[in-house]
Amino acid sequence: MITRRLIVASAPLVVLAPSFALAAPAPAFTARDIDGKTRSLAEFKGKTVVLEWVNEGCPYVKKHYSGNMQGLQQAATADGVVWLSVASSAPGKQGYFADGAQARTWMSAKGAKPTTLLLDPDGVVATAYKAKTTPHMYVIDPAGQLVYQGAIDDKPSNKVEDIAGAKNYVAAALSDLKAGRKVAVPASQPYGCAVKYKDA
Amino acid sequence: MLLRRLFAAVLAPLALFAAAPASAEVVKTGHLEVELVSQEAAAVPGSTVFVALRQKIQAHWHTYWRNPGDAGDATKIVWTLPAGWTAGDIVWPTPERVRVGPLQDYAYSGEVLLPVPITVPASAKPGQTVTLQAAAAFLVCEEICVPEDAVVTLSLPVVAGPAKPDPKWGDTVGKVLAAAPKPAGLKATWKKDGETIRLSVTGASLRGADFADAYFFPYSGKAIDHAAPQAIERGAEGLTLSLTAGFDFGPEATEAPTELSGVLALKGRAYEITATPGETPAGSVGLGSLPAAGAGSTGGSQAAGGGDASGLAGGLPVALLFAFLGGLILNLMPCVFPVLSLKAASLAAHAHDAGRTRAQGLAFLAGVVATFIALAGLLIAVRAGGEAVGWGFQLQSPAVVAVLALLMLLVALNLSGVFEVGAAVQGAAGGVSAGSGLAGAFLTGALAVIVAAPCTAPFMAGALGFALTQPPAFALLVFLALALGFAAPFVILAFAPGLLKKLPRPGAWMDVLKHALAFPMYGAAAWLVWVFSQQAGGVALALLLAAAVLVAFAAWAYGLGETRRFAGKTPLVAFGFAVVGLAGGVLLTIGALKAPVPAAGPQTAEAAGPGLVAEPWSPERVAALQAQGKVVMVDFTADWCVTCKVNEKTALAGPRLADAFKAQNAVLLKADWTRRDATIAAALAEHGRAGVPLYLVYPKGAGAPVILPQLLTEGLVIEAVEKAAKG
Repeated sequence: MITRRLIVASAPLVVLAPSFALAAPAPAFTARDIDGKTRSLAEFKGKTVVLEWVNEGCPYVKKHYSGNMQGLQQAATADGVVWLSVASSAPGKQGYFADGAQARTWMSAKGAKPTTLLLDPDGVVATAYKAKTTPHMYVIDPAGQLVYQGAIDDKPSNKVEDIAGAKNYVAAALSDLKAGRKVAVPASQPYGCAVKYKDA
Repeated sequence: MLLRRLFAAVLAPLALFAAAPASAEVVKTGHLEVELVSQEAAAVPGSTVFVALRQKIQAHWHTYWRNPGDAGDATKIVWTLPAGWTAGDIVWPTPERVRVGPLQDYAYSGEVLLPVPITVPASAKPGQTVTLQAAAAFLVCEEICVPEDAVVTLSLPVVAGPAKPDPKWGDTVGKVLAAAPKPAGLKATWKKDGETIRLSVTGASLRGADFADAYFFPYSGKAIDHAAPQAIERGAEGLTLSLTAGFDFGPEATEAPTELSGVLALKGRAYEITATPGETPAGSVGLGSLPAAGAGSTGGSQAAGGGDASGLAGGLPVALLFAFLGGLILNLMPCVFPVLSLKAASLAAHAHDAGRTRAQGLAFLAGVVATFIALAGLLIAVRAGGEAVGWGFQLQSPAVVAVLALLMLLVALNLSGVFEVGAAVQGAAGGVSAGSGLAGAFLTGALAVIVAAPCTAPFMAGALGFALTQPPAFALLVFLALALGFAAPFVILAFAPGLLKKLPRPGAWMDVLKHALAFPMYGAAAWLVWVFSQQAGGVALALLLAAAVLVAFAAWAYGLGETRRFAGKTPLVAFGFAVVGLAGGVLLTIGALKAPVPAAGPQTAEAAGPGLVAEPWSPERVAALQAQGKVVMVDFTADWCVTCKVNEKTALAGPRLADAFKAQNAVLLKADWTRRDATIAAALAEHGRAGVPLYLVYPKGAGAPVILPQLLTEGLVIEAVEKAAKG
């Protein structure tokens, strides 16, 4: 029993999952979507996948849901890209969706057009990807390689007027992929509110 | 608020007549009160005045540093100034580390002043009062984040002469500026080693500095993994921090970075540094490691007083407590059994003479303390000389092991009744014998420490690791606590006549007990001889065994001589044999030490038990195996460490463990410290240890290991390996 306690005590010394190098396989995951269906990364093999971390109450998310995010979602999905919004806020925290219906209500109010939204209240998917902020964007190529991770654009602010002059990294990565080029900017520092992980 | 406005209204007209001091208004933004405050009461043409944005932040909320860390956003200020006036960059005070779940932010709480240098043009007219306006935008977060804005203004009179400090804020702004990180001519280099960036900083102002809680705040948000702990290594001229590479240093970086700049924060001070690529300077390492700085103020994931954690959060007092506890527990470790028997024998002998028992207890205590301090002093001196040695180093020398083996043999023979030390003195001078009894107790204490102390017990490991990174005086204090803990049970027993009275009266049983207790000592001698054979090879072993026979013969001859002398007969012939035997033993021992040591053969995998094969350890091997997706367990061990051997037999050798390792795709590596090895010493230091055993379990892929307790069970190891395999 004492030894058990010692192990537990030393557990916090373990570093969280190491940061993965890019051009590495995207971590696999399964999560329930707003329809209650279990979705996994594996089922989208052969398609480009965008992961977008979302928290409806976060000012940075609100900034991009002034039209920017919906526009990106529409253009991407029209191009055959799978766009998965991920809500990883823990129960009781800002941005938590109790069920699919609640998420759907928010989505339709905003006119959001992702392929679907994944409910990740335990933060399992967020932990696998080391998602830090909302928004935090990831682009996975058809071979399952992570080719972009980071901010949505190069203007870290919560002001809608900054969108106009910003370079959108996700749009750039998607067009690089489409044109068969190497993604020019494979990583950037994400900005926004902290992902509302459940308390340790 | 109203009152202040009223005052302002009343005072405003006065400004027409005299240059009123700087005045500003506080703006409430929801979670903050914001205002502009000035270091000086007035602006002087052609000079620079520091004006600070003061944020008074609601409890539990934060605003952010220039690099907010994993999430958040730095405060931004847009100035509107009179023509010719210009504003510089914010002078950022050292931030706090705020932990939010797995995320690490760099932020401010409570009250923070962000000073900005404002250049006053030479053309500014004295007598004028100018208005400085700042539009500040900041993100303030607790559980949720709220962007807030404030437009704040400051009226500042222009005066010709030297400006006086602002009566209200002058001091405060001055202090903030004085405490802000500044360059101090420090030399900083970085070196990439896999995923690790080793950042070394040296310079005059770091000589002898306290590096506890040292932390590097990078200016770039992509330079390092903010959430990863920063391992601290001390050197004579500075320190080296092991950072975890971020995108800037990863394969995704479009170009290799040439600089790594940021703030090095120590206790109570901070420096601005810019590191360039380069080798780790010698002065930045070599004095051992310190636990990485704590996770931060709101961390929910901090270790809660884990006795076995290599980091000792509480500093010296906690180290002293742990050292004492470690000393106590050391009495229960397998290493100490032979010596326990010695102590038991001496206690039993004097159990019914309270005064003498007390004196003996104190003499034992003195022996333990003196030996601990002497060993510690030697250890510290040798380490200061730059040698990578650790606790237990005395048994890494074959000479010491050989002498100890023979000493153990003599003690055992003595217990067996082959000879009595001081029997003659006792017979001749009766009462004086108390003296020799005390010397015996002192020596017992010394022997106990020399043989038993190399084992590290729970609690003791962290305390020792801490001690060896501290100034010598502190380190000696820790060793003193350890010695007191180790000696405590027997001293207390010696002072508890009630307990001792429970022992039967002295009599024939004592001789039986003494003879029986000789066998653990024979065992200890046999063990040391085996350790010696591991260090010195087969030829040396043969010579040492021969020496042992001669020493035993000398002991018997001496005993015979004493008996004859006691009986009034001449002991000279017997003593002569004893001297010859002893001399022969000494010569053979010297020969044994000079015997050619067989070259260490090519290190091959060695079976640790049925099925489970331990490979030789190296840091590179760990990284390579991790990269292959294997869980790696490392066994830091030494042949002279009985605890290590017991663990290897009981917990690391079973078929169940072999199966578990196979199932989890795990590998066991063995780092053998029987002989001195700087790489192993460094690895131990890295985990805050100064001795063996140390058991690490690395997760697959990459990442830092879990430290297992010093006493293993098979189930515990399997559990740890399974956990690591899950990631």
